[in-house]
Amino acid sequence: MKDSDVLVLQEPKLSLADTFYLPQVLKGLGTTMKHMLLTLAGTDRVIQYPEERRETMPVVKGGMNLQSYRGVHRLNKDEEGRVKCVACFMCSTACPAKCIHIEADASPWEDREKYPAKFDIDELRCIYCGMCEEACPVDAIELTSVYDIVGLTRQEMIFDKSKLLKIYDETVKQEPM
Amino acid sequence: MLEWIQRLPVWFWIALIVHGTVLGSVAYLILLERKVASWVQDRLGPNRVGPGGLLQPLADGLKFIFKEDYRPGGVDKVLFTLAPGLMIAVIIVSIAVIPWGGTWQRTWTVQTAANVTDQNAAIASQIPYDAQVVSVVPAQQANTYAVTFAEPFQIASLNIGVLFILAILSLAVYGVVIGGWASNNKYSFLGGLRATANMISYEIPLALGVLTIVVMFGTLDLGVIVDKQAHYWAGYIPAWNVFTQPLTFLLFLVCIHAEANRAPFDLAEAEQELVGGYHTEYSSMRFALFFLGEYAGMITTSALCVALFFGGWHLPGLTGPAENPGLSTSLWVCILRAVVFFAKTIVIIFVFMWVRWSLPRFRFDQLMMLAWRGLIPVSLVLMLATAIVMYFAAPLDALFVAGQGIGGWLAFYLLIANVVITVGAMLISTILPPAPKTNRRIKVEGSRFDQTPLPAGT
Repeated sequence: MKDSDVLVLQEPKLSLADTFYLPQVLKGLGTTMKHMLLTLAGTDRVIQYPEERRETMPVVKGGMNLQSYRGVHRLNKDEEGRVKCVACFMCSTACPAKCIHIEADASPWEDREKYPAKFDIDELRCIYCGMCEEACPVDAIELTSVYDIVGLTRQEMIFDKSKLLKIYDETVKQEPM
Repeated sequence: MLEWIQRLPVWFWIALIVHGTVLGSVAYLILLERKVASWVQDRLGPNRVGPGGLLQPLADGLKFIFKEDYRPGGVDKVLFTLAPGLMIAVIIVSIAVIPWGGTWQRTWTVQTAANVTDQNAAIASQIPYDAQVVSVVPAQQANTYAVTFAEPFQIASLNIGVLFILAILSLAVYGVVIGGWASNNKYSFLGGLRATANMISYEIPLALGVLTIVVMFGTLDLGVIVDKQAHYWAGYIPAWNVFTQPLTFLLFLVCIHAEANRAPFDLAEAEQELVGGYHTEYSSMRFALFFLGEYAGMITTSALCVALFFGGWHLPGLTGPAENPGLSTSLWVCILRAVVFFAKTIVIIFVFMWVRWSLPRFRFDQLMMLAWRGLIPVSLVLMLATAIVMYFAAPLDALFVAGQGIGGWLAFYLLIANVVITVGAMLISTILPPAPKTNRRIKVEGSRFDQTPLPAGT
């Protein structure tokens, strides 16, 4: 490294208005007044979260795109209402957070060999990367746009098969497969 | 039996109402502060408690009351308890001389006993205490008089009101200093020290600004100063001092920001540097009293600002006869004047808050430099210029000679003087030698700037 590589920055020279505080102070007051008026007029303010939600807003105005948001998982069902999953373990293999636990069993149905007897996802461990969705060969696991999931204990946040299927029932109208 | 209640002077009722209003409105000023803060930051502010958040102050007060009143070990118990009380007491006392509504004049029919020797004393014993008798007119019945008397519509009508308010307000810093010192905490102590230096520096331009107004009107009575502003120039411009002395108003506004220890002069409670400043160790209602003191101080200084620069209660339709505009025979007019006065005060307080959420805090050397290199010289020159203009132009002014305030041309000359000084100060500030280098490294033994080796063994 040579001396010529060093970039020496000079402090910007103050203008006449800067040296005499007042004009700049008034400019600053004008900026805050503008924000105050815009906030009071309701044209430019933060979202009042529990009442106003991004889901209900247009995407161009900062709303949420339901199709591309990666929220909590769901397990899709087929036309007969059976779980689509064939317990191939592709998702749990692809999962970088190792949060999917599947126990496979012999399928009670004719058209497939295996089905998941247990299907647990630890939602606290999940990083919502969407790799499971990518890996699934039968489009059985999907990420929905639901983000406000809560639980009182860690155990509650480990979603089992029935819960994941229930999320499918709740979200299938808004976000079809 | 109820006679003594009737005879209570009007200042008694005003004192009750004003103190209730001031202390009650402090809670709502805190809500307003939070609202203004959030509007500036594109938020809506507290809006969960009550409609639009209007019950938030109650919730805050309840929280203060139920919090543990903790006193750390090693504090000076007496002073630690005294400091918040001192702060709030001083502020409440200083509000006494604010002229809320001119003079209220009433006429009562008074009947004296038949055989009294001192007629005046007999009359005085039947009208409110301290009332000033204007006229006594005998009525048709014997020993009956129509007594007209006037009472100033303020708590205490002092003829040295301006001096009183300056003297008492500067005592408010004792609450801060004592609180900081008694806390036995170095950050609190530093906060107190900073408040002292701040106060000493900004009292001077504050007093000079007030003195400029006193020079214009030749009186220290706040009520008279307001009365003399209650007329119009050229028919429609209200004769408020802010139009004759805009620069003085600006200096005064800056100084009352410093006086109230508000941003950008809130070095005494600079959270980022001093934890919480002088009230770090305070909790519960003790802390609330400091809070109350700060906001009540804002009300007092803003009210003083309104009285000195914005014509006090003056609004079209509320003035009395031309020779004594403060006079009114109607109680409702007086009350309306007080409301107008308070509304103007709230506007000034809003400016306080607006400034707080717009400007960053000064560094300490910048704070001192602004006072000693900026405000004090300018306000000195301003007072000198005002004195000169008044000396030469005032005797030619018919209104001033009649003792009714400042006439149009005189006001114009004063405005010219202000503009000239503003431009002059701007020009001179460009050719002034630069300020001494800041952050000078002072050799303190053992500090990292000290090159001398420490004694062996330490």
